[in-house]
Amino acid sequence: MDELKIGTNSGSVQYIVIKLGDESYGINISYVENITRMVHITRVPKVANYLKGVINLRGEVVPVMSLRLKMGLDEDEYTKNTRVIILKLEQHGTIGIIVDEVKEVVTLEEGQIEKVSADANTEHSNYVVSVGKCDQGLISLLDLNAVLTEQV
Amino acid sequence: MDVSQYLEIFLDETKEHLQSLNTQILELEQDSENMDTINEIFRAAHSLKGMAGTMGYKRMQNLTHDMENVFSEVRNGNIKVQPNMIDILFQCLDALEEYTTSIQESADEGTNDNEPLIKALNDILNGNSGDAAPEAKEEAPAAKEAPKAAEAGNDKWKSIKLSDTEKSLYEAAKAEGKKFYGITVNVQESCILKAARAFLVFKALEEHGEIIVSNPSSQDIEDEKFEFDFSVIVVSEDNLDDILASVKNVSEIADAHGAEMTDADFTVSAAEEVKEEVQETKPAEAEVKEEKKAVPAKTEAPKNEKKAVAKPVVNRTVRVDIEKLDSLMNLVSELIIAKNSLVSATNSAENVQKDGYAEHIEYLESVTTSLHESVMKVRMVPIESVVSKFPRMIRDLQKSLGKKMELYMSGEETELDRTVVDEIGDPLMHLLRNAADHGLESAEVRKERGKPEVGSIFLDAYQDGNNVVIEVRDDGNGIDVEKVKNKAIERGTITPEQAANMSSKEIIDLLFLPSFSTAQKISEVSGRGVGLDVVKSKIEALSGEVEVKTKLGEGSTWSVRLPLTLAIIQALMVTVGNEKYAISLGSIQTIENIPANEIQYVQSKEVITLRGSVIPIIRLSDVVETQSVKSPEDNLMVVIVKKGDKLAGIVVDELIGQQEIVIKSMGKYISKCKFISGATILGDGEVALILDANALI
Repeated sequence: MDELKIGTNSGSVQYIVIKLGDESYGINISYVENITRMVHITRVPKVANYLKGVINLRGEVVPVMSLRLKMGLDEDEYTKNTRVIILKLEQHGTIGIIVDEVKEVVTLEEGQIEKVSADANTEHSNYVVSVGKCDQGLISLLDLNAVLTEQV
Repeated sequence: MDVSQYLEIFLDETKEHLQSLNTQILELEQDSENMDTINEIFRAAHSLKGMAGTMGYKRMQNLTHDMENVFSEVRNGNIKVQPNMIDILFQCLDALEEYTTSIQESADEGTNDNEPLIKALNDILNGNSGDAAPEAKEEAPAAKEAPKAAEAGNDKWKSIKLSDTEKSLYEAAKAEGKKFYGITVNVQESCILKAARAFLVFKALEEHGEIIVSNPSSQDIEDEKFEFDFSVIVVSEDNLDDILASVKNVSEIADAHGAEMTDADFTVSAAEEVKEEVQETKPAEAEVKEEKKAVPAKTEAPKNEKKAVAKPVVNRTVRVDIEKLDSLMNLVSELIIAKNSLVSATNSAENVQKDGYAEHIEYLESVTTSLHESVMKVRMVPIESVVSKFPRMIRDLQKSLGKKMELYMSGEETELDRTVVDEIGDPLMHLLRNAADHGLESAEVRKERGKPEVGSIFLDAYQDGNNVVIEVRDDGNGIDVEKVKNKAIERGTITPEQAANMSSKEIIDLLFLPSFSTAQKISEVSGRGVGLDVVKSKIEALSGEVEVKTKLGEGSTWSVRLPLTLAIIQALMVTVGNEKYAISLGSIQTIENIPANEIQYVQSKEVITLRGSVIPIIRLSDVVETQSVKSPEDNLMVVIVKKGDKLAGIVVDELIGQQEIVIKSMGKYISKCKFISGATILGDGEVALILDANALI
């Protein structure tokens, strides 16, 4: 509880650390509604390949996307560590993203966050706005708006 | 007085009254002698005035007040209904609507006094009181007072009106053998809960008859704004002593005494009230006046409600916030999902043996189904509330377009979900205006073509399966496909080559594109190119669709097809590959088992012949991009679906069965897929997609 209180102080932000392959990514905790285990996904035809379909989240139908496919990585392999992170963003509504593993929650102070230089122009680096440095190493912090905005 | 908490009710009721006035005045135009209509109008105007007064909207009150005067004279037979009077009355309604809109937006009625209208109304009154008053003198003393009061100003009317209505009630009561009693009740000075005691007294009185007026007003009594006594006028069949005895039976009531009222009482009280009001109108007391005026207005209001209850034609209704209904609806949805899980649990082998289990499940099923139905019905409202403003609109259009036309409506009682009804008004209005402006020819042209000079516009609504269809039809010129084509080419919407290959239906569909208007000259009514695309998008937003059929020279029909409900439907569950899909039962015609060798090809598309008609088939596995588990030689399971008069067969792998499903939105994120109208959660918690058969055809 104490940690939570500290986390809400201005200047420090809490991130959920997830793994995609070997890399660690951070998702701002304030957008996270829920984290669930992998459930049956109902495929929806004729949508982008990274949209895996919809799931039943306690009576609500929630679309689910593969973060791997969206970022141009290999197809997901569902293991017992696979999780769906349910995000809620104003302009996108509720949506789930599939990640390989959820590691932990870290609190980053302003000084621990560094902007990523804009010249990195590989496709998926567009989704990473900054990098957090902490004891566990480097964490790429995701720009959720960019991740969730559909590319045509 | 703080009335803001009543604002919503006020607005609702005002709109209702305005609508009823609109309809009734139209009727009056047709049949100027109909006393029922005139009475109805009078009642609506009167209630409006009372409500506006209570809420402190003076300008609105003044205007309704003058309208009421006119109606009252009409009712008394002193004024005959004339066309110019109807026009003025309609203008008054428009002005009132303006007030209402302004109140809705800013809780203020605005500053438009509408003096010309008030003057016009008074002209009607005065113009006629000169001619009619002499004869009226002997037979109607009330009418004699009318012009006199009108000279002094508007406000005295109220009191006269009040006494007039009371008097008419009194006379009606007398005719029925009922009596009017004036009763004053004294409450013990030690009484703590005066309002509660007063309420008990009111209740006791209501067992005997009806309370006509109370002083102070019932609202003030409720708020304990009275000393230790209050007075009421009661109409009852019982004798006075019985009534007084039952009042005294209420504890902490010190005493009650009363007397039967006679004709004289009414004349006196009326006269007193006039005097009172005359004094009040002095400008120096403007503030006071407003407050005092609110009191008689308020006492009128409950009285009118009483009348409404007594009148069997008026439906007994409760206003419910739509959000409350939505949450009720959600609960029902959850219940149905829970029930479905139970049903699928029963089907698993171990439970089947248990005695009575299945029976209970069946019972639960029937209860949830009827619960769902009744909740649905609560949300359903007849489209009448929307379409009833159209005759008035056509009447106005007739004048502004200089064409003769008549609107015929049918199926106003057709019911739709409340949310749909609220949204459907504008699109329908566009279509009607379109029909009036583009559709109908001018009277001369019609004559030349051997059509009746007066054009007809039809608005028909009916239910068709799980849909409601609203058709706007006219017997006008129809759509000139060539003209549309040329226009489209001229605007660069399509190339001449494209145009050559387009079917006339495709060309007509161009009309639904944004900013496309073929009107030769831009008129006030339509022709700005906004309209049909708005109609289309609005109707599609309601998961409906719009279609047009036309025949040059004979007219066009625009049909709007809307889903009956937006929440829970009966559906057929099917499988294709290893996926489950739901198809709304409403669009399903039949289910056929067709041998694979009966498939034929027309224009390299697969078709089957069924009972003499050729039906194109759609393989669901292709549409949803999955692998069918059936081999090509197997018989085909074909679900025949219907859209309007078109049929199509959807080929599926297996049928699971009929099921009640709750439609859930899939969220904004996945909305690209046209033929998926939503998703539902099955008994086992899995999500199944709902196919929109209409979009597949």
